[in-house]
Amino acid sequence: MANTQANTEANTDTTKDYGYPDGPKNEPDFLHVSHGIKSWMLTLDHKRIGMMYLFGILGSLLVGGVFALLVRTELWAPGKTIVAQDTYNAFFTLHGAVMVFLVIIPGIPAALGNIMMPIQLGAPDVAFPRLNLASFYLWCSGALLLVASVPGGLDTGWTLYTPYSLETKAPVLVAVSGVFLLGFSSIFTGLNFLVTIHKFRPQGMGWFQLPLNVWAIYATAIMQVLATPVLGITVLLLAVERFAHIGIFDPTLGGDPVLFQHFFWFYSHPAVYIMIIPAMGVISELISTFSRKPIFGYRFVAYSSVSLALLSFLVWGHHMFVSGQSRLANMVFSALTFTVGIPSAIKVFNWVATLYKGDIRLKTPMLYALSFLLLFTIGGLTGLFLGILAVDVHLHDTYFVVAHFHYVMMGSTLVAFLGALHYWWPKFTGRMYPESLGKVCSLGVFFGFNLTFLPQFVMGARGMPRRYWDYDPQYQIYHQLSTIGAFVLGISIFVTVIYLMASFWTGKKAPRNPWGASSLEWQAPTPPPLYNFEKPPVLHELYHYDDLVEVEEDRWERQAPTEVEPGEAHSGHGHGGGHGRGGTR
Amino acid sequence: MTEKPHEAHGSADAHGHAGDHGHGEAHGSPFIQHHYDDAQHQFDSGKLGIWLFLAQEVLFFSALFVAYILYRYHHPEIYSYAHKYLDVKYGAINTAVLIFSSLTAAWAVRCAQLNQRRGLILCIALTIGCACAFLGIKYIEYSHKVHEHILFGRYFDPCVSSGGRELLTRNNNCAGTKSTVVWDYGTGAPTAGCFTDIDQDPRREGVQADCTVKEYALTETPKRVREPKKDAAGKPVVGADGQPVTEEVEKIDATETFKRDLTQRCPEEPLPGHAETGSQVEGEGEHPGATPGKFPCWRPAYQPAVCKKGVGILVEYGDHDEREHIRIKAECKPPPKPADAGDLLADKPQPLELGVPLIQPRHQLTVHEQHELEAAGPPPEHTNMFFTIYFAMTGLHGIHVLFGVGVFTWLLIRSIKGHFTPDYFGPIDYAALYWHIVDLIWIFLFPLLYLIH
Repeated sequence: MANTQANTEANTDTTKDYGYPDGPKNEPDFLHVSHGIKSWMLTLDHKRIGMMYLFGILGSLLVGGVFALLVRTELWAPGKTIVAQDTYNAFFTLHGAVMVFLVIIPGIPAALGNIMMPIQLGAPDVAFPRLNLASFYLWCSGALLLVASVPGGLDTGWTLYTPYSLETKAPVLVAVSGVFLLGFSSIFTGLNFLVTIHKFRPQGMGWFQLPLNVWAIYATAIMQVLATPVLGITVLLLAVERFAHIGIFDPTLGGDPVLFQHFFWFYSHPAVYIMIIPAMGVISELISTFSRKPIFGYRFVAYSSVSLALLSFLVWGHHMFVSGQSRLANMVFSALTFTVGIPSAIKVFNWVATLYKGDIRLKTPMLYALSFLLLFTIGGLTGLFLGILAVDVHLHDTYFVVAHFHYVMMGSTLVAFLGALHYWWPKFTGRMYPESLGKVCSLGVFFGFNLTFLPQFVMGARGMPRRYWDYDPQYQIYHQLSTIGAFVLGISIFVTVIYLMASFWTGKKAPRNPWGASSLEWQAPTPPPLYNFEKPPVLHELYHYDDLVEVEEDRWERQAPTEVEPGEAHSGHGHGGGHGRGGTR
Repeated sequence: MTEKPHEAHGSADAHGHAGDHGHGEAHGSPFIQHHYDDAQHQFDSGKLGIWLFLAQEVLFFSALFVAYILYRYHHPEIYSYAHKYLDVKYGAINTAVLIFSSLTAAWAVRCAQLNQRRGLILCIALTIGCACAFLGIKYIEYSHKVHEHILFGRYFDPCVSSGGRELLTRNNNCAGTKSTVVWDYGTGAPTAGCFTDIDQDPRREGVQADCTVKEYALTETPKRVREPKKDAAGKPVVGADGQPVTEEVEKIDATETFKRDLTQRCPEEPLPGHAETGSQVEGEGEHPGATPGKFPCWRPAYQPAVCKKGVGILVEYGDHDEREHIRIKAECKPPPKPADAGDLLADKPQPLELGVPLIQPRHQLTVHEQHELEAAGPPPEHTNMFFTIYFAMTGLHGIHVLFGVGVFTWLLIRSIKGHFTPDYFGPIDYAALYWHIVDLIWIFLFPLLYLIH
């Protein structure tokens, strides 16, 4: 910012054409374009669909969070604290299933991706708006079925391993039907996004002018389309096995229960990347914007998203080192697992290099982004421990694993989700959230999270198995620290959701570009109208902030740098028509 | 700064903002949606979308192909035995029908591009017709398998071997035959009728169980009795007064009354490789099919998948009615000592091993005879897995065909209404692509299931 102070007095004519200053809007925003329940339920607008996803996901987050707190409360002391063993099994199963299938898989792509990705592309909508709405209703029906298995006490763990899931009296059939529908919701969302990114880029936006968030969503969508069908057929076979006893996973009939594990992880390993890659995309945006520096090594960050997506298909076996698969398979999967460290490390180093000598502004989204950097690094490095065959035999199914994947799935994905939510909240709701409360809560999330899961690394390494209802007294101190942390974390997230909701009424009106970010969505009015832009967005060089000037607090406007000749700034504005998309046809 | 602002598309300007996505006056066809630039843009987007959907479909089926490969690799004998249950004739007809329907589907796209409305309607109708024919043939195949209990998982209980010989069955409901084996699903083992002191195949020459077989009439009378109520865990429910709660349940009361001795022994059909001697009981009668008057008759039946050790008794009846409400009871003596059985089996009884033919042939068998011999015997253990995979694959494929019928019917209605023009024929193109993948999957399924050697 400092080096562009001189530009605040740029001439108004240039400003008008060059940037999009706040001003009166001549058409209603998407929240007010039509009214009534029906206008929401039948909407084809990606922003409204995204917002409905968002509320569904926040609701599921509360449900899953309550189950997490119940699990942690039960583990306060050895033996029975509040519930019996069977109920405890149901609690951790539902915590896992709800959080994985309903919160973090759709969290960033389906909710925030739906709202923001087409605007970042400068597109009026996604490619298939009706399919988008259908995906949302598939998600709703799947979510209802999954939650409907709550009273029945689903106790298989979210992994639904056979043969136990074939024997238990819990309503596995209901739950897997829900998972099936959720899977197809995810597939159709990914398909929609792939076509949108291919076909709806504006003229002049090549693959390497895409915001990194769009790259991340693209990589995610590849996995959604190619991995999720395997989950679909797997849970379909499990369902048929449950009611028709076809025997494919039943060893008494000649079936192979380990085949289920292979199929399950063939999806569920990419699913971990479906969770984390969009988070990485968001973090790239946040770190660049709040450091006011171009992202370091744009192409490497973009390619690393895609290579993570491809590698994700090759490492599923590392979940099964002790399941009796062959030694050769174990060694191959172990070796491939280490290659995942390469693109992950590229990203982390590039983010750190972006921060270096940046003009860092510690707004709430940036606090979440910095938390992500730390937590993801811990989560990633502990993953390497688990990729080592000998170490894994010791750590398999201990709290070490629980802590590791919570650092990645929650410490990284959920933290990035919260960061992204704060970052884009002003854009799609038109309201600012309370900044100081936001900072307090983000620190609460960070410290609460670490207090919850750092002790779990220790007790896991000392042999505390996961999913156990009871434990030896020597582990009690770690469990108690963990439980205290979980409540700090839970309260922080709960307060966050409350103040975000309250900001609809109490928040101050958001300007067009509160963060001085450079991607296209900040050129759209706040909140955007039905087709996102009042006039064609102007493509500027991505992640360059020199011409963005903070005219007052939280209000940035793009003003032509004085060095640029007016002729150059105006070039290319001649074609107003809408027939120029540069996507690969 | 040397950045160059690019011109971006201006959908907002071009499309106006009235209403939701709907019919745009600016486009040629009323079916071009607002947010697309033009007809070509919509068509291209849809095409990419359908290709991604097809990629998804391939992955959706892939798990079943992996399961097929895995089980075939581990149990080749199951596949080589069980595929003979399938009728290549039906499979071949269905392949031809589907390939032809792919042609008509592709032709429908051409008709739409050339604005030939009648040709389009005809092609779509032909495609629907072929799809229905495919499903009809599949129905014939499925209903035959249901009738013969050639099913998946624990429902695999075939009445005949893949070579067409009657088999001992677990649940005794094959038309015209009844076995002594009663299957207990709780333990997964036969409860009655398997004679553990006989561990030789009775069809093997010289080893014949000496059995008396009796037929009992079974009278089943339902009656209502009061029993202590039990909860899901199997514990008695105790009411508020401390007394066990009782409930009325319906029970079947079965009484047996002796009906008759079955003395008639069925003739053994000669097995491949044994044709020159025939069976020991050859002199007692002709083939049952030829002399219905000789029914009912019995024979020892050997089937390790049903009777893990020993034999059961298979009774053949001439008609289907007699199989109801009859219970067979048999008592068998151990077979004569090998020394008494004649010179052919003078050596000690050989223990059974998996993978070794149960019946030793008298001469070097030809490949054809070898196959016939296998097919005459009982199914290898876990043959049910073949039919699990068969029904999973063809069933999922059938659902896709059914879905295709729905899609093409919708297209038929729309083409009768004249919705499709050379500007707007995307749905036909996408449906045809979908239909090709359905066809292609069948082209893989047909040899993998029907044409194994």
